[in-house]
Parts: sequence; structure tokens; C-alpha cells
Amino acid sequence: MKLEVHNLSAGYAKAQVLFGLSLEVAEGELVALLGANGAGKTTALRTVSGLIRAWGGSVHLNGQSLAGISAARRAKLGLGHVPEGRQLFPLMPVEENLLLGAAFLAWEHRAAGLEYVYALFPRLRERRGQLAGTLSGGEQQMLAIGRALMGRPRILMVDEPSLGLSPKLAEEVLQTLAQVRSEGMGVLLVEQNVALSLEVADRGYVIEHGSVVLSGSAAELSGNPQVQKAYLAL
Amino acid sequence: MRLVLVILGLVLIFPALPLGRWQAFTLDTAQFAFIATALALSWDLLARTGQLSLAQGAFFGLGAYAAGLSAGVLGTIPALLVGAGVAAASSLLLGAATLRLQGIYFAIATLAFSEVVRTLVLKAGFTGGATGLPVAPAFGGGWALGGYYLAAAVLILSVLTSLWVGHSRLSYAQAATRQGEATARVLGVPVVRVKLVSFLLSSALAGLAGGVYAMKALFLSPYDAFGLGRAVEALVIPIFGGLYTTLGPLLGGLLLVALETWLRLEIQDGYLVIYGLILILAILFMPRGLVGLFRPRAKPAQEEPRA
Repeated sequence: MKLEVHNLSAGYAKAQVLFGLSLEVAEGELVALLGANGAGKTTALRTVSGLIRAWGGSVHLNGQSLAGISAARRAKLGLGHVPEGRQLFPLMPVEENLLLGAAFLAWEHRAAGLEYVYALFPRLRERRGQLAGTLSGGEQQMLAIGRALMGRPRILMVDEPSLGLSPKLAEEVLQTLAQVRSEGMGVLLVEQNVALSLEVADRGYVIEHGSVVLSGSAAELSGNPQVQKAYLAL
Repeated sequence: MRLVLVILGLVLIFPALPLGRWQAFTLDTAQFAFIATALALSWDLLARTGQLSLAQGAFFGLGAYAAGLSAGVLGTIPALLVGAGVAAASSLLLGAATLRLQGIYFAIATLAFSEVVRTLVLKAGFTGGATGLPVAPAFGGGWALGGYYLAAAVLILSVLTSLWVGHSRLSYAQAATRQGEATARVLGVPVVRVKLVSFLLSSALAGLAGGVYAMKALFLSPYDAFGLGRAVEALVIPIFGGLYTTLGPLLGGLLLVALETWLRLEIQDGYLVIYGLILILAILFMPRGLVGLFRPRAKPAQEEPRA
């Protein structure tokens, strides 16, 4: 399965944010979408997942156009989205948050899903009965990712998972995404932490003002003087 | 859950209790309590999606009028089903137009709907207008406890629906829709459909309760059947008892109607002042309702309601 975004434009009310954004993510690869604050990274994910309407361009999943398809239906087709700021259900216990992730996508696989997520994040198993709102920041991010994994996505889009986490925890969370990728899922990782993302990613896109200005393998991007100057502070 | 079953058991054997000269009065009061509680349970079904409806009185009234008008031709049970069907069908229309609205906007739209329906019933010829509509008693009045068991049946049906929804996947969808609609959508929850299904169940039960009320009250007027008081009662009971639960509205409805009746007998003039005071204190000191008192750990269903 492959996610193909071509010449996408979108925005809010009259403010255009995306100007002809194009990118691709295939199963089994971890692709970083990098850029400064306000470059349009979150808007790109929200448009691809169907939360906001595209103004132009196209999004294809597995060759099928997603135009006019609801966010819920896109999730059903295999597109996972871990929204910015985790967006957990704070007054629900950990396990119910996870079950919710499976409720409409993979209900018959919920037991296996829980096992999978708990193996990936053993700390969530210890806290399964605790209210999500009482978890630490790192655990909340793990829960947000775990909840999306419960729906068995083929392509998972993760928005700023390192936000507010200590460097050690951020690395741990990104390593998990790398592991999920190795098991065959496609991951589109939106990050401001460019150095850390390029450590785990296979490829990357750098976007500015809503379109891609640079793309290449993680190694190429790390070695690119522009990237080094603008994002890696070398 | 066990308490719910105990209460339902009591409801069934209640007419057999030796209440002496109080029997007729308590059975009467119980019927109105069951109807109010069923309406409260029905309101809670939609509230679980985060939508605050002020149209519950309208569905109740539509059910009451539809059942009242058709009872003579169709008989008791089919007429009640017609009442539920009319209420459900009108909720589909209202829901399709308004369920994308959130919070206070949805509440206002449902309030406007109630006023429109009430005015239509008031002005239409076949409803008896302002003069009101006489309704035949359930089962032609031939079965003394018929009305009682009809009210009990509506209550039990509401409780079972509430329990069933609470234990199904729909409860996850409702909780997610209530707590974060955008997130729910990317997790595959079809939020509009979830709200519409909840609205449909909610209004059908309200319409059914209205029909039973019509056959109990034997007379309907637009002021009574569609009064805002009906809609307010439907939301006060779950708030008092415990939102998004089955036990909460069940316990809350039976206790509040009992309390109201007792106060009316004891104080007569101005009993509503005391009743209102008790409600205010209860909501101040029991933010999670009666159910919150004996469930220390916050369950998913018990966060503060959003307006």
C-alpha cells in the first residue's frame, strides 16, 4: 500500500497554507516531514486524513483517490493519524483509550491488538487501569501511538511525537516508530526535531511555506549544507 | 448493574405490595415516575455523544399526540408504536439538519424545534388545538393494572436500551465523540452517524414514553405535552442521578419524582421552591450525581458535562 500526495493545496478560511505539496510514503518505510513552525506540516496531515478539505491536488491510497471520502472512512481504508498534542480521552482508563482505537476499525482483533501494543509499550500494560489524563507526557504519547496502532493502519501519520518530551523519551518513542516500520507499516513522521528524525527515518522531505523544497534519503538530508544550517544548527 | 436489576424487580412486584388505602395513589405516582425516568434515560442516550438536546419534550409530545390520535383506530400497542415512529422520524429530519452543530448551537436548534412543533399542534385542526385532545385509556380501560404495566414496560425497555448501548461498541464511539470529535474521526468513528443513531434511539423512546403518558393522563394539551418543563425534567434527572450511566437516571428519576410528590403533599404552597433548592444543593455537592457518591474511581462516563 502506498500513500501518494500530489500537488496538494489547502488552508483555513481564506488563509492558504499548503501550496502544491507532493510526497509519497510506502509500506515499510519511515518518512520524515520536516520544517519550521508554520510550514504546513500539521495542515498537511490534517488534509491527508480528511479532517480539513483539500482545495486542490490529490491524495491516493493504494491507488484509490480519497477525494470526497470522510476521515472515518479513510481510517477504515488503512490510514492512521496520531494527532498533534496526543488528544487522548483523559477521563478514560488507558485500556479503554486503546479499545476505542479498535472499536470501529479492528474490533475483532482487539485482544491481539492490546497484546501487540502492550508488548511495544510495556509501561502501558502496567498502567492499563489508570486514567489517561494521569499519565506522564511520554506515556501519553505512547498511548496516543498505541491507540492508533489498535486500528491496524497500513500507513501511520504521527504529528510531533517528541513534543514536550525529554530527549531520552523522545528517542525512545521514535525508536518504536522505527520498529513499527520494520514490521511493514509505512510511517509519515512530522517533526520539528530534525536531528532526531533523520536518525530514524529512511527518507525525508523538507517543507517551507506549504511546499516541498528539498527531499532525499536521511543521509543526504543530514549532509545537505542548507539543512545543516537551517535545522541542525551545525 | 445489580442495583438496576433490583430496582426493576421492585417495579414489577410493586402493585402486589400491601399499601392499603395508599395503593391507588402510589401506583398513580409510580406510573408518572416511570414515564419521567424513561424520558430521562432516553435523553441521556443522546447526551452521551456530547449533544445537549432541549427537544426531548417535543418528541415526548409528538409521541403522545400520535398515539393519542391513533389509539382509537389501531388499539393500544400499535398506537404506541406509531407514537415512537413519528418521534423517531422527526428526529431524523431534525438530526440530519442540526447534528453537525455543536454545544449551545445544537441546544438552541432543538429548543426552536420544540417551539415550532408546539405551535403546529396548537394551530392544527385535527389535534384539538388549544382545547386539547381527550385520549382513551390503555386497553380500553378494561385492565386495571394495564396502565401501570405499560409504564413499567417503557421504563424497562429504556433501561435495557441504555444498558445495551452502554456495553456495546457504540458507547466507545459516543464517549469519543463527546470528548474529541476530530480525534474520534481519525480513529474511524463515523461521528455524524453515531449521533444520528443515538438521536433516533433517544427520540423513539421519548415518543413511546409520551404515548404511555397520553393513555395515562387521558387528556393532552400542547402546553402540557410540549412544555419546556418536560425537556428540562429530562435533563435534570440524569444530572441529579449521574450522567452517561443507566443507574443514574433510573435512581434519579424515581427519587426525584418521589421527593417532588412528597413535598407537594407536605408543603402544598411553594413546594417547588424547596424542590429547586434541593436540586441546586445536590448539583453543587454531587457534581457526578448520585452515582458518583458510591463509585469512588472516575469511570469513563463521569467527566463534567460540556455545555
